[in-house]
Amino acid sequence: MRLPPGWRRTGSDQGSGMHQEEVYGQLAKVSDPELDQPLTELGFIGGVSVDGSAVTVRFRLPTFFCAPNFAFMMAADIRERVSELPWVERVEVQLQDHFFDSEINGGVNGGKSFVEAFPQLATDDLRELRETFRLKAFLARQERLLRSLLQMGWLEEAILRVRVGDLSELPRCGEAPDPAERYLAILEERGMAGDATAPAFVHPDGRPIEAVEFRATLAHAHRTRLSVEFNAAFCRGLLKTRYGGADQEIAGCTERGRPERLVRRVAE
Amino acid sequence: MFKTDAGEELFIIDGHMHLWDASPANQANKYGAGFIGCFYDYHRNLSPPDYVWEAPLFQKYGPERMLKDVFVDGYVDMGIFQPTYLKDFYKNGFNTTEQNSALKERHPERFILNGSWDPRDGEAGLEYLESLVKRYRIPGVKLYTAEWKGNSKGWKLTDPWALRYLEKCQQLGVKNIHVHKGPTIWPLNKDAFEVHDVDEVATAFTGLNFIIEHCGLPRLEDFCWIATQEPNVYGGLAVVMPFIHSRPRYFAEVLANLLWWVGADRLLFASDYAIWHPRWIVDKFMAFEFPDDLRKEFGVSLTMDVKKKILGENAARLYGIDIHGRKKELAHDAVAAGMA
Repeated sequence: MRLPPGWRRTGSDQGSGMHQEEVYGQLAKVSDPELDQPLTELGFIGGVSVDGSAVTVRFRLPTFFCAPNFAFMMAADIRERVSELPWVERVEVQLQDHFFDSEINGGVNGGKSFVEAFPQLATDDLRELRETFRLKAFLARQERLLRSLLQMGWLEEAILRVRVGDLSELPRCGEAPDPAERYLAILEERGMAGDATAPAFVHPDGRPIEAVEFRATLAHAHRTRLSVEFNAAFCRGLLKTRYGGADQEIAGCTERGRPERLVRRVAE
Repeated sequence: MFKTDAGEELFIIDGHMHLWDASPANQANKYGAGFIGCFYDYHRNLSPPDYVWEAPLFQKYGPERMLKDVFVDGYVDMGIFQPTYLKDFYKNGFNTTEQNSALKERHPERFILNGSWDPRDGEAGLEYLESLVKRYRIPGVKLYTAEWKGNSKGWKLTDPWALRYLEKCQQLGVKNIHVHKGPTIWPLNKDAFEVHDVDEVATAFTGLNFIIEHCGLPRLEDFCWIATQEPNVYGGLAVVMPFIHSRPRYFAEVLANLLWWVGADRLLFASDYAIWHPRWIVDKFMAFEFPDDLRKEFGVSLTMDVKKKILGENAARLYGIDIHGRKKELAHDAVAAGMA
């Protein structure tokens, strides 16, 4: 199993090593919906305690006022993912230092849905909101791959001829995480990777991108990707300012023309 | 006033500044402590090290410090006070029109004093708006849709009462509507940073200008789209500008998009003082050029004309400031005398 980078940094881990690694492996599958990056890479996991079959996950955010809807989603996802481990019987999520922490913890640990937890403040569950942000993630990942191919000198016509089955064979641009791998993963997640001979570059509804709309599609996706990355950069910086210590950054494809750097500064 | 190497003088209007009291004595609850803590982290995170303050100073810095930072050291000629009441978090409010008016009275030529309203105040709030106009002749308002009030955790510009307030603004000549687009948390299951309510009211109230603070970040794509549709929508660059220091590439990409979609005539410089000090932002902005790839891709460039517009001319147009005349007045005022 590939461990999420930097997982050893948390100073407050308690419990047996094997089980803890498995918990972190599950936590690596939980992403911040707005930033489309795993919590383990963002530094949002404050610590994991394993006591027999009971797991406690401490979880923290860049600001006191981070949007509670996303915080709830992440907390619920943590609970769900960790519960998938066969030896786990109880999971407690502890969101810390947040203006809504007790409400969110109470709701999630009580197994309540979002509407049940906040009857006055929510009119619907979070499915629609989640989908809005998965669409943004789709566009952002697609844009990153398109741009890296253009940078490597690919022509538009050649790019539009790429098939789903070709995605794992594309030359690597040296960026981490690999843009093609990330794009393929979200195609799979959305059930759009079933036919290896289908065009790889499609609109979110599955319609292939036509040559005439290539530039406009790219420009639109660029703004989406920029918003997501700008936000992610701000959040990472704020988390570091708030909690100090380790800063680990996986830069986006923003420093154009240079291979992506993987910066990792581990304190302690 | 910023003087270029060539000797040209640029008139600078800071579109967004505060004189707040967030000291522990004024904090009403954990939310008040959390709110200023959040601002302080913004401050520490994006300021160059020389400009980072100690927490107690950041909580309450007072008028003299502000005058010196902004007008003496910070190149700013005029500043726009944008109040943030937050009366549920702070006993006397965080930064109200009344509090700001003290400095405005001392230096009327240096400040533009904006007011604020909250549609949840109903009829009484409409009367309050009228009294602000009567008492201070406010030319604009700052709206904070995420503000809590009792059980309500926020509101939208399209709420029926909000429409009545906007009508009242149009009627009273309160033309500039600054809208903070930050994390509204009600209703919780919707996108907290939604900017689409701006679209509707900008179409409905063509006599008003809507300045979207922070350009709707992190929903830049939505903001750009709305701004291209609505000629009376502007972008306030508070929070965007400080990225020029720690994230110059993001700053360049965001600004290139804004210039292409929104245009050089509809962007307003702002430091969000005291979150960030205007001096380093102006210094870095004046020295800033787009990287070649962005210049080519977007066909935009940061010429001296564009910088002048963003730093002062656009705000002057919105607020009816005659830059030439005002320059002369300010050359001899009390603040200028203090600089000598």
